[in-house]
Amino acid sequence: MDLQAPGRSLPSAKPALGSKTYEVDDFAAAQELYHANGWTDGLPIVPPTQAAVEACLDWGLMPPDQLVAIEPVREQPITAEKLAVNAVMAGCLPMHFPVVVTAWQAMMQPEFLLHGVTSSTGGCAVLVIINGPIRTEIGANAAFNALGNSDRATAVIGRALRLALINLLDVRPGGIDRSTLGHPGKFSYCLAEDEEGTGWQPLSIVRGIPEGASAVTVMAAMAPRQVMNEWTTDPREILETFAAEMRANQLNYSIYGGNYVIVIPKQLREHIERAGWSKRDIAEFLYERARVRRADWAEVGKQSIVRDRASRIHPALTSPDDLLVVAAGGPAGGFGAVIAPWMGSKTRAVTAAIGVCVDCEPPKTREPRP
Amino acid sequence: MPAIAVMTERFVSAAELMSRALGMPGYGFVVIGHPISSASAAQLEGFAKATITQARRLLLSE
Amino acid sequence: MTFRVLDPTNEKRDAGGRPAPRPGSLRGKTVGIISNGKEGTKEYFAHVARLLQEDLGVGEVVLRTKSNFSAPADAHIVDEIRRWQAVVTGVGD
Repeated sequence: MDLQAPGRSLPSAKPALGSKTYEVDDFAAAQELYHANGWTDGLPIVPPTQAAVEACLDWGLMPPDQLVAIEPVREQPITAEKLAVNAVMAGCLPMHFPVVVTAWQAMMQPEFLLHGVTSSTGGCAVLVIINGPIRTEIGANAAFNALGNSDRATAVIGRALRLALINLLDVRPGGIDRSTLGHPGKFSYCLAEDEEGTGWQPLSIVRGIPEGASAVTVMAAMAPRQVMNEWTTDPREILETFAAEMRANQLNYSIYGGNYVIVIPKQLREHIERAGWSKRDIAEFLYERARVRRADWAEVGKQSIVRDRASRIHPALTSPDDLLVVAAGGPAGGFGAVIAPWMGSKTRAVTAAIGVCVDCEPPKTREPRP
Repeated sequence: MPAIAVMTERFVSAAELMSRALGMPGYGFVVIGHPISSASAAQLEGFAKATITQARRLLLSE
Repeated sequence: MTFRVLDPTNEKRDAGGRPAPRPGSLRGKTVGIISNGKEGTKEYFAHVARLLQEDLGVGEVVLRTKSNFSAPADAHIVDEIRRWQAVVTGVGD
């Protein structure tokens, strides 16, 4: 075969998918197959056809057998193809796939403690925060209903991660997933930051990602707790309400310090920004204010574990850097949200840039010279 | 290295699943009562006795 | 009209290990306990250590506690295992 024949470029063979396939009669039959095998989260899935999976891989410029990650505890290899199958099932379009891949890789970092957080009785979910230009490209909506069903992109990206946990790592309720209660975020727990609606630095930049890059931050998180304070414009008073919610979490759920996320919608955000407070100022304030005495456990029925350390102080944040401030939410309403970590600092939030990949260059075709 | 893993009765199914995932189906465990975090001193001693009984079978060749 | 759909699971399963051969007796031997340090384990393992010596004639019992109960045992604990003749780990709760 002539490699450089005039008028022809190098042929590129499409690598074959490796997954086993099943023939189904119709959409309904596909649902029953996947539900019966324990391959779903209980909701209907988009049947993953070869074409749909290939479309994701093409968009992500990834061959099917590209190793996306190796799950650290059981040393399970995770390929691009298998992640794409689960992304398609969740409802992802090809443009959502790079976000899913990056979030998954971030979850595989040792400091995230994936096996611990997904198997524990504690029942946390994987919170995903999206930053950068990709938000606009995929139509992520950081305003109304930011923590609920805000838009297609965040709904399906969050869901893809749960389906991948179920199918690639066997994280199923009563099996490896020992969650006593869990929470609804386990269906999908993904939001974008409203970068255009604030003068604050995006979360990704605070966490070290270069300006202009898109990024995801993942965190093993409990359900959001909504706070309200529409009766003041003083940032200290507003943030004191957030601090009180953090202290309550420390006493009622888990006292140990770690990453907390606070989501601040526009109404409260404007007061804080107008007073000249940055995200760093917020973090330093909450680092001081969100702390409890061990003796306070006695007020919530936990006197038996106070023991001889009653005077010990436990901060909710081990340092101001532990706080993740996210600007998101609709334009009206004096509400905010506090999202607590699964268990102190046993797990750490991880931020990763999307599309920064050393060995996924697109294949170069040699154009013939005229 | 001969080893036994101890768990409370509510965790047996998780352990069996991990055994299969790790390619060692049928791995034997010591099973004690649940929960341990709020058990009394007497209960803990009882769990320890049950552990030794099961350990004889799992850790020593007959 | 029929169509084909893909398997979403990790189909490859690695071959696992085999259990180590069991000794005839632990009399005079060293047994290590790797505790996850959760509430109640200290007292429980104290009893286990005592009974290992009283009932099974074990020589020395070494107790090590993991620094993170949700993660695999720390590397320095795993290194020590080669000096023991048997291991008890727990408690999964």
